[in-house]
Amino acid sequence: MCNACGFPARPGVWTEAGSETAMDKMRAQLMQGAVINRLLRPYGLMASDGGHVPGIQLSTLTGATTIVDDLPSLWEEVERQLGRPLDPIVAVR
Amino acid sequence: MRLTILGGYLGAGKTTWLRHQLFSGALSDAVVLVNEAARTPVDDALLKSVSCVLSGGCACCDGRADMIAALRDLADQKSQGRALAHVVLETSGLADPGAIIAAVQDDPVLVHHVRFDPIRVVVDALHGLAQLRDEPLARRQVASADILTLTKCDSASPVELARLVATLRSLNPDADLGFSELGRDVAPPDLPDARPEVLPHLAEEGPPPVPMRLTVPPGTDWSALSVWLSALLHARGDDLVRVKGVVRTPAGRLLLQTVRRIVQRPEILPEDSAAQDNVLIFIGRGFTHDELERSFARFVLGED
Repeated sequence: MCNACGFPARPGVWTEAGSETAMDKMRAQLMQGAVINRLLRPYGLMASDGGHVPGIQLSTLTGATTIVDDLPSLWEEVERQLGRPLDPIVAVR
Repeated sequence: MRLTILGGYLGAGKTTWLRHQLFSGALSDAVVLVNEAARTPVDDALLKSVSCVLSGGCACCDGRADMIAALRDLADQKSQGRALAHVVLETSGLADPGAIIAAVQDDPVLVHHVRFDPIRVVVDALHGLAQLRDEPLARRQVASADILTLTKCDSASPVELARLVATLRSLNPDADLGFSELGRDVAPPDLPDARPEVLPHLAEEGPPPVPMRLTVPPGTDWSALSVWLSALLHARGDDLVRVKGVVRTPAGRLLLQTVRRIVQRPEILPEDSAAQDNVLIFIGRGFTHDELERSFARFVLGED
C-alpha cells in the first residue's frame, strides 16, 4: 500500500525482473533509459528516467514534457502522441 | 497460490484427463474449478472433487466476471488460513488460455495471489488435425500451450498421430509434448516420419503465425532486451502469439513467457533445469525473421 495515495502498490513491471542488488537496479535503469531513447530518437521524442521525479518523463523536441508511471504507460503515451504505436520492426524496414 | 490452466478444444478430453489425474492422486491437493460454455453443467457429474462450476459463459469472455469472483473467493479463503496451494481451472472448450491469463493479471487483487503453472492444452488425436484446419481458436489454443497432451492416442493410427505431432510441432515447437489414453499418461509411441500438414489460410486469422528463433548473444543486457520486447509487444501484440525462452541475467536464469500482450512474471529457474539459455522462440506473423534480427541488433545491441 502506498502511504501517500492509499492505493495498493502495483506489482511492478515485468521488465524490472532480473536485478538483484541495488547496483544491478541502477544499471538496469540506466540501460532502460538508453534503449528507450534509441527507440524514440527516430520519432523526435526523448525520455528521461530517474532523478528526482518518479516515473518516466517523455519530452518532445520543443520541450513539452509528460510524466508517465511506467514502461507500458510510456508506450501508450507515445502511441497517443504519434497517432500510431512505436514499432521497432517498422524502424528497420 | 498456483493456477494451472487446462485448456483444449471442445471434446478434446480435458475432463477425462483431469478425472484420471484426480483419481491417481497426482492433483490430490488441488482445488478444481470447471468452466462450461453451456448453461447446463455436465462435467461436475464426472468429477467428484470440483469446488465450483462456472457455467453459462466461457471464462475468457462472457463468464470472465464469474471466474474472477471464484478465484478471488479462493484467494480470500487462503488469506484466512485455509490450506490451499493449487487451483486447477478446466476451461471451456471455447476458451483462449491467453485471454484467461490476461484477465487474471489485470485483476488488482488476483495479481498478488496467483502464480501461473505451465499452461496445459489437450489435443484430440482423432479430430485435432481437422480442428486445426478449420478453427482459428484451436490454433490459438495450441500456440499458447506450454504442455501439449495428446489424448485418445489409442484410437488414432500411427500415421495420423505422426502427422498431427508434426503439425503441432510446426505451430508450437517449444511446448512439451505428452501422450495419454483415457487420461493415463503413456509412453510416446513409435511414430513414422511425417510432414506437417499445410494448414489453410483462415480469413479471420491473417497469415498463420510462424515460429522464429532468436539467439541472444551471451552478455546481452536483460533490461535492453526487455525494453525492446515491451515496445514490440505493445505495437504487435495481436500478431505475436507467443514468445518464450530463458535469458541469463545477474539475478539468475529468467524464464520469459508471453501470450500476445501479456507477459507472465519472469521466474528464476534453477541452474540445473534442462532449458537452453539465451534462445528465444517467437511465434508471430506480419514480420520476417530477418527483420526481427535486425530490429534486435539495432535497438538491443545498439549496432547501426
